[in-house]
Amino acid sequence: MARTTRNPVLAAALALAALAAAAACWGGWSWYAAAHDDAAAFAHTREEVLAAGRQAVRNLNTLDHRDLRRGLDGWEDSATGDLHDQLADGRAAFEKQIREAGTVTEASVLSAAVTELDERAGKARVLVALRITVTAPEGEPVRKESRMIAALTRTAGGWKLSALGQAPVGGTAAE
Amino acid sequence: MSTTRHLINRQRRLASASRGAAPGTAPPAPGAAEAPPSGRRGRRSGPDARGSGTPPAKPPGRAGRGPAALRGGRRLPVLLCLLSAVLGAFAAYGAERAHDLRDRPAVRNTALTDTARTSEAGGAATRAVEAVFSYDFADPEALDRAVAAHLTGAAVEQHAELLAAVREQGPRQRLVLTTTVTDSAVERVEGDRARVLVYADQSSTRTAAEGAAGDTGKAGAGTGGAAPRDATTYAAAMLAADLVRKGGSWRIAALDTLGAGS
Repeated sequence: MARTTRNPVLAAALALAALAAAAACWGGWSWYAAAHDDAAAFAHTREEVLAAGRQAVRNLNTLDHRDLRRGLDGWEDSATGDLHDQLADGRAAFEKQIREAGTVTEASVLSAAVTELDERAGKARVLVALRITVTAPEGEPVRKESRMIAALTRTAGGWKLSALGQAPVGGTAAE
Repeated sequence: MSTTRHLINRQRRLASASRGAAPGTAPPAPGAAEAPPSGRRGRRSGPDARGSGTPPAKPPGRAGRGPAALRGGRRLPVLLCLLSAVLGAFAAYGAERAHDLRDRPAVRNTALTDTARTSEAGGAATRAVEAVFSYDFADPEALDRAVAAHLTGAAVEQHAELLAAVREQGPRQRLVLTTTVTDSAVERVEGDRARVLVYADQSSTRTAAEGAAGDTGKAGAGTGGAAPRDATTYAAAMLAADLVRKGGSWRIAALDTLGAGS
């Protein structure tokens, strides 16, 4: 006691150091906690899935008859599993069909959100509200809105579409 | 206070030990002459002897407080201050990083991560859309009650615009409009705000004699042309709803028809 009163500078420096050490512990801990937050990790996966879903659904609704190879490569690249196989199998016939029709199809995403995400299983379900514009060689471009429901699966190359369809419309007027 | 002193003593002992001087071999009566110019060892022997609290060592210790000891007394606080600065800087950096990580838009959006809130907002959007986009000519006031219960702010006006035709022609056409939400997805939840994407089906039945092909005016829904008498038509709709939570319940504050139906 006597000693510290004789050296108030040292006492103050010690107190400061102790305070700084406590602050450093807190700062380090909160950094660690923020970096290893499960909810944050899940949120990042959700964003990743959403971005992949938006892009993939857009890709599969975009096709230019003048550049079928790139367009259809994009389709296959966005899909996995059965959907990928279907696209690959039907490619030749579809290519011929589009070449004859001479259409340009463009899609823009109006809104999209993830409805389900199972990180462990690597499965997700995404709703994508699309506007599709089809331009035929003759006539005005035709615009329509489309309510897409996509299933995504995690692959080595990122999240890809494993199924894609339109939300059914009730009653007999199903599209 | 004694713990602080022990701490200092320990540091000094360690400092001297690292210089090759075993604590036990310290001279019993250190003199200023023995202290090296660095002052480190001198500090150890002098004050430490006093610090250990053994009465016989006290007088020599006091006598040994030479310039070296004084220099050491200043040096330790300086070192401590440097240490404090480093630790403080780390604390600030850590806090900054933590704040950065938590402040990212993706993390602030708690859709699906906060499951309770997500399903709450999604459920509220579903109930609200079904209620405010349904109409029965037999009970037109039900629509007003639904608006009062589920809408707030700009959505009230938007809704009035969207359903103006329904309100006007409904009684004459004996219109029954039923909206069913088939799917919904919560885009974003941030505190008391949320945005939900909704897919809905709308069936409209007209039993009026004139069978006028009036537009139902539903958001994003085309009625698919003229409706024959006693016919039910189905239309697909999609919209995004911005919700706010007030007093424990979610209400739609804005309707986004996604540019459809315009």
